[in-house]
Amino acid sequence: MRRLPQSSSFSSFIPFLCVAVVFWKAIVAGGSGGLLVLCLRKGALLKQVFALSRAATPRESCLCAAGDALVSCHRHYRSHPTHGIGKFKYLLPKESPKKRKDKVQMKEINVGTEYEYGDVNIQMTSYDMCLVEHFAQYVHKLCNRLSIRVNESYAMPTKTNEVLFLEERGSKMQVDAVLTTHQRVVQISGLSSTFAPILLEIIQSNQPEGVHLLVKEHTEADFKSRLKSRPELEELLAQMN
Amino acid sequence: MAAPGRRTVGWGRWFCTAAAPRPWRLFGAMCLLRLPRITQPLEKEEEEMAALMGQIELEKSHYSDHEIRRLEEEEQLRRRKESMYDDDDEAPGKTVIMAQDLEDKWEQKLLRFKAAPRITDADKNNNRTSLNRKLDSNLMLLVKQKLGNQELWLLPQVEWQPGETLRSTAERAMATFLGDHIQAKILGNAPYGIYKYKFPRAIRTEDNVGAKVFFFKAFLQSSDFSQAELKEDYLWVTKDELGDYLKSEYLKKVNRFLLDL
Repeated sequence: MRRLPQSSSFSSFIPFLCVAVVFWKAIVAGGSGGLLVLCLRKGALLKQVFALSRAATPRESCLCAAGDALVSCHRHYRSHPTHGIGKFKYLLPKESPKKRKDKVQMKEINVGTEYEYGDVNIQMTSYDMCLVEHFAQYVHKLCNRLSIRVNESYAMPTKTNEVLFLEERGSKMQVDAVLTTHQRVVQISGLSSTFAPILLEIIQSNQPEGVHLLVKEHTEADFKSRLKSRPELEELLAQMN
Repeated sequence: MAAPGRRTVGWGRWFCTAAAPRPWRLFGAMCLLRLPRITQPLEKEEEEMAALMGQIELEKSHYSDHEIRRLEEEEQLRRRKESMYDDDDEAPGKTVIMAQDLEDKWEQKLLRFKAAPRITDADKNNNRTSLNRKLDSNLMLLVKQKLGNQELWLLPQVEWQPGETLRSTAERAMATFLGDHIQAKILGNAPYGIYKYKFPRAIRTEDNVGAKVFFFKAFLQSSDFSQAELKEDYLWVTKDELGDYLKSEYLKKVNRFLLDL
């Protein structure tokens, strides 16, 4: 029999004993008729108990080693009055299941006595990813500070351009550079027309070098450009029609 | 002088209610700004911080494809030198461009590149009429105008005529002084500032108490335009240099809407 490690001998002894006592009682109650079976069963029992204790010891030892007081093995059974005392999920509001397709149009009226812009997209493009990301973060935080509602802040897919170098008096094009263009969009709404020029001026003056800024109103085309087209679906639809 | 048909938001609204002829004359002035072309130099602390952050990022970063390729090729070269032509799997006919060669080529290209100078000639001469000065700050247009019997340095302004908006007055002011082919963008319809002054007692009458000047801001889009169109004296100055030319009261009102970042 494999020797149990010394340090956990005490902690393993108790469950071993308890389990052994329980089983032993059961076997004794079964009667003397099953003595032979008893031996076998005892062997199996010992193995079982040993397996249990072996399972118990590493867990307990690592628990003791970690010293984590919050993780305890003393969870109360269902009959105990404090059963389920730590549950809270039933108190939270129910989350509605997410719809597959996102509906677009949230445009506000632009014409009126109080001019207010609808959804406005601030698009920042650059070759340098860190720069454009930091600038997008700055614009987002600026809008938060100025109490302008930011609807969304997302990134458009990266475009990769390969610059091919054609040598003079040569026909072969060589790969000169691989340029990646990154674009980040911050979508705001509720911009009043008296404040818009000030905001634009602030963003313009803080524009870093190498970042191209474009401010335009949000259209359906902008929304559609974020979605991937599914050619098979379109083919099938065309066939159906 | 009947009440004007359409007024812009905010400032002009309280004019509409007066039915009697107003004693104030209205002017629309244009503050034409050339945006900075390069960023301002970093402060000492900013530079130290940037260097530190760069070093931390470099130490934390992983190797890029190019660097991995270069390390592998160095390994291969070293192995080939030690074990003389033992592994001859690569066909000798194939010319392989090593990563190191690419790096050398790029280095050569970089040495050939010459950046434009940050401090231009106009800076050295302090030629205030040129647009190439002070590339890292905003430049404003100042024009010498005759008001009454005084010649003053002002932002270009023109009197408002009934039937037009104040914004179009300001655009007209810009066109009169700089010609029609100006590519300047005005962002909004609302003025940025107002300067009110009363005429000296000699000229003041019942109908003509004083004047109100409304300022609008425009950003210059193209950096080169035919400056020959300018007839009078003009200057392009930064915010700090405004004090040399403008009167103190006027300067105070103008400074209120100037962003100097």
